[in-house]
Amino acid sequence: MSLKLQNYIRTYRKRFGLSQEELSFLLGVKSGSKISRYEKFKQVPTLKTALALQAVFGVPIAELFAGIYEQAEKETSKRARILMRRMQEAATDQKASRKADLLRAIAITPNINKENS
Amino acid sequence: MLAIDPYTKGFGFAVLEGPERLIDYGVKKVKGDKNFACLKKFTGLIERYQPEVIVLENPTGKGSRRGQRVQQLLKELLELAASKRIKVRSFSRLQIRKAFYSSCAFNKYQVASSIAKQFPELALRLPPVRKFWVNEDERMSIFDAIALALTLFQS
Repeated sequence: MSLKLQNYIRTYRKRFGLSQEELSFLLGVKSGSKISRYEKFKQVPTLKTALALQAVFGVPIAELFAGIYEQAEKETSKRARILMRRMQEAATDQKASRKADLLRAIAITPNINKENS
Repeated sequence: MLAIDPYTKGFGFAVLEGPERLIDYGVKKVKGDKNFACLKKFTGLIERYQPEVIVLENPTGKGSRRGQRVQQLLKELLELAASKRIKVRSFSRLQIRKAFYSSCAFNKYQVASSIAKQFPELALRLPPVRKFWVNEDERMSIFDAIALALTLFQS
């Protein structure tokens, strides 16, 4: 189970002393109630809003949405290992070799290494 | 981790992921059946933050001057946490004070100031030095909750 929260919007908003209304204005979002829903993990912002959050706080999306990122990274890594296993059965060429390098990089993530150790 | 500090009108709380990472903090005010309302808000915080550990004051520990209602509330918070299989740690007021001696903080205000230095976003929330004829500012419960959490990290 991830120890990270779905998002840390509230943490950074309070750190910078912004109200929900002020943050909603900065993000171009309808109202503070939407920010409240993000902070209570009841709604996930759109990509555009997530990027705007990064612009406001200067914090990368992966860190702002650490819990979601962690989950996505874990699932992608799992699928990369499956694809790598399938590729091992197929013929190798230059394109396949580049693909294998990418999949190897995705499959080896810090969290997966921790779990497997 | 979630730290809770009850006061007359509700409780202060703090959520930390390590001694230098303050995630959330605030004051929850309640009316009516205060203990029941506090437990409800406490449950909401647990659902939101899924803490691994909850930190409370030990109301029967050295230095405690908690009234009967708050002592009962702390007992109920303990039971609620146990029912959700969440680890609970509790510290006496004396243990909390000792944890801050190394920061040259010997009273509540000095502890709160030390915390505000560590977490600058709390500087605006720091209440003025209390006059003895004035009730304690409710914002102090935020600092008391953070002090509980930091005591755990130091122990």
